[in-house]
Amino acid sequence: MALNLTRRKFLQTASLAAATAAMSGCFADRAKAGTPFVKKPFAAPGSFADTKTVTGGICEMCFWRCQLVGKVRDGRLVKLEGNPKSIDNGVSICARGNAGVKLLYDPDRLKFPMKNVGKRGAPEWKRISWDEALDECATRLKGVIDKYGPQGIAIFPHGCSATYPMNFFENVVGTPNNSEASFFQCRGIRDTAYVATLGVPPGENVDMANAKAIFLLGGHFGENVHVSHLKRYLKGLENGAKLIVVDPRFSASVSKADIWVRIKPGTDTAFLLAIMNYLIKEGKYDKKYVAEHGKGFGEFAKGISHSSLKWAAKTCDVPEKQIKQVADTLAANAPNVSIHPGRHVSWNGNDFQRERALACLTGLLGTIGVKGGFVPGKGPKVGKVGWPKLMSEHAEQFALHTMAKLYKFSPPGTPTDLIRNTAVTGKPYAIKGYVGWGQNPIQTIPDQALTIKMLEQMDFVMVCDVMPTDITMYADILLPELSYLERYDGYIHKGTQWNFADPQQQFIAPRLPLVSPIATDHERKDSIWIINELAKRMGYGEHIKVKSAEEMVEKILAGVNLSIGQLVKEEGIHLQPGADPYGKALDVEFYSAELAEAGYSAIPTYVPVPEPPKGFARLVYGRSPVHTFNRTQNNAWLHNEMPNNPVWLNDESAKKMGLKEGDTIELVNQDGVKSRTSSVVKVTPGIRKDTIYMAHGYGTMNKAMTVASGKGIDDQSLITRLAVDPETGAHGMRNNFVKFIKNGKVLSIPA
Amino acid sequence: MAQSTSSNMADIYRFLAQSLRYPDSSWLQAEYFSALDAFLVGLGWDAEAASIRRSISESADWLEPLQVEHTRLFVNAVPAVIAPPYGSVYLSDDGMLYGPSAEKTKLFYHEQGFDLVGEADIPDHLTFELEFLALLVEEGKSDEEEFFLAHHFRPWFPKFKARVVCETRHHFYRVIVNLIDFFTREEM
Ligand code: SF4
Repeated sequence: MALNLTRRKFLQTASLAAATAAMSGCFADRAKAGTPFVKKPFAAPGSFADTKTVTGGICEMCFWRCQLVGKVRDGRLVKLEGNPKSIDNGVSICARGNAGVKLLYDPDRLKFPMKNVGKRGAPEWKRISWDEALDECATRLKGVIDKYGPQGIAIFPHGCSATYPMNFFENVVGTPNNSEASFFQCRGIRDTAYVATLGVPPGENVDMANAKAIFLLGGHFGENVHVSHLKRYLKGLENGAKLIVVDPRFSASVSKADIWVRIKPGTDTAFLLAIMNYLIKEGKYDKKYVAEHGKGFGEFAKGISHSSLKWAAKTCDVPEKQIKQVADTLAANAPNVSIHPGRHVSWNGNDFQRERALACLTGLLGTIGVKGGFVPGKGPKVGKVGWPKLMSEHAEQFALHTMAKLYKFSPPGTPTDLIRNTAVTGKPYAIKGYVGWGQNPIQTIPDQALTIKMLEQMDFVMVCDVMPTDITMYADILLPELSYLERYDGYIHKGTQWNFADPQQQFIAPRLPLVSPIATDHERKDSIWIINELAKRMGYGEHIKVKSAEEMVEKILAGVNLSIGQLVKEEGIHLQPGADPYGKALDVEFYSAELAEAGYSAIPTYVPVPEPPKGFARLVYGRSPVHTFNRTQNNAWLHNEMPNNPVWLNDESAKKMGLKEGDTIELVNQDGVKSRTSSVVKVTPGIRKDTIYMAHGYGTMNKAMTVASGKGIDDQSLITRLAVDPETGAHGMRNNFVKFIKNGKVLSIPA
Repeated sequence: MAQSTSSNMADIYRFLAQSLRYPDSSWLQAEYFSALDAFLVGLGWDAEAASIRRSISESADWLEPLQVEHTRLFVNAVPAVIAPPYGSVYLSDDGMLYGPSAEKTKLFYHEQGFDLVGEADIPDHLTFELEFLALLVEEGKSDEEEFFLAHHFRPWFPKFKARVVCETRHHFYRVIVNLIDFFTREEM
């Protein structure tokens, strides 16, 4: 190598001409590919130094969908803020909402379609074109359908953008095997239990802002953050509402509580039954409401009459006096009481009954349609457009829970447990195609080894996501999706003003892009484009109803005489007068004939859960204010706020075990499964001795998530013992037990 | 420098930018390799020329390994993408994409009368910067070229280059980043 030859000298040598002569021929394709630049006269300096405000953003750092504006400078999103026009979150957004900028510009984001030329689980990626990717997805999915039928495909969706793909595979392709874990394994149980009791799914529709008492079962608001929901809660507290929190741990909500019920985990239904039994026996319930709207009250009252305060005190490990105090507080403030239905309720595999009990307590106190009570708001309507239901009958016929005559109160979709078992055993039929959309089942479904087994036996695995989460390591073809800040969405957010005490208003807020998706250095697409292209290639093109996400939004808005143009004029949010949300009573199925007929307990029933084996404590998990499950793990700003998930341990136990605050530890569960990674101990009197707590959503195993990889412990990796809720088929995820490991030594937890 | 050398330099910048684009058969043909070969030989980089000749002639299927390597180095990889080809990843404290330095680079493009075609293009992408240098050369803006190299390109390129040189499994990319280094390095 001619070390002495400098660039300048080279440019003057005779060999230059020969050397560069051939070069220009190599740019032949540039006419096709185009240069990345265009000529543009320079505008006066400073004209773009200031940001401009773009409206119409809808946050998706979690799924509360706060309305946003973006501060954009020369095409770059600089800052996110709440949309001042919002009557929901207003100008407030949470830490995660702010950190959306970091998701948009995360260097680890998926950028191009890729093909796995290595192995599932140990991928080697090769960038491919969209055509190549879609052709291969279509051919291979079609191959599965031809060989095994549409039911041979399982879809694992999550998020607004996954609805269109989910409906395509369910309605047009005809597979019943849809596992929407964020719903099914989370809120689904609550919804079906409330439907069976009050006839409606409850959402989080309690009027906390105007309540005299608020009752939370495991709710840890402040750690669990949804802006307008928190506004209601905090307004209620500000107005002097009594706060009762049932939790084995001193949570953020407990810190504000008037009564902290330090309950033994898994026994909540016993606690609720004792309260109801006491209220009935003492005549402290809403007799008028129950007489007018209660069904099967006699059988109910009789059926729970064994549930004495004493029995519950022993079962739940709380003082009898305290149970009575809770019951009396509720009765004294009824009907203006918020009995919160909860949100993530898949705890112990006896969860449907607990949710039924909460709904019955709501009815018993007559706290429905009244100030402070259970009050579904009256939101606006919008138009509808989507896939035709061509294959619903086929899908229903092959629904695994129907075939097995199990889980008759299953939320929509098929229980994940059945999909996975069927895939692994091939019985009653083969499931050989996997379509993942924004969901990371590695961290959302217990028993990771079994999930991986399911993936390994697939003929084809296709995953579409924004970030390289754990599941993407198992994809054959990996597709990069636009983030919520760059796309339109077929989902239109709507609702009412957050405080029902304010003048009644409704809002309609479609997601509009805050920054352009057009780029030459990456090629991401939205789900409508991707699925349409796939549908065409699979031979379903004729059923496509909308050509683009934008057209979909236009059509939905047109249903109520609105348009994107109009929404832009209205700063992203359309407001209209609302209706009085109060005054609507609901019938209460205290005794459910429907449940009895299906062979389940017709009145809420407490089913004991397994006790921790000696030396172990129960592992429970919850939320951190700076994370949304594992979706936000890799966000550098959020990670910086809480780089790992400390494991809460009772201080007296810690002393006996020789553990100190901040010690680095690992965990091992009852089946001998060890955490892949380590975390630190948080020593505190604020947790029961039989319980260990940590925030969910840490310890990703995909090293492609360079910020999050290996940080903290993945709670899901320790949840290997399954507890399936008999009514719904959802997994309870708090029946696993752990010990600590420090410096390789296993430490038992004293009772 | 004479006019002809300047336009040669524009060709060289473009050639280098092209060399880092995704390797596919639309441009990665015998024609490209013979140009590269002649170029390296002209520079006296005979060993490098030989190493590329070898790695390309070693197997009939030489394209896919290059594509896999390009993806692994610059796009997405397990365990981690080796060398994101974006300046601010190396210049901001937290490895941010489209960090403040990238905004400044875009501003400089504007000041020189150019804009990127894609509204969401990340301005400090390596190939954009090289293409932009070619444009400056063509417009005879050698002071601006030197300024851009000194204030926008060189502050990060050596860090990027170090990662590629030390991690790549393919001679091709080692040679190309060394070539870029050679043609953008400051000379006394
Ligand atoms: S609560 Fe936070 S993360 Fe969730 S939508 Fe609102 S701002 Fe976004």
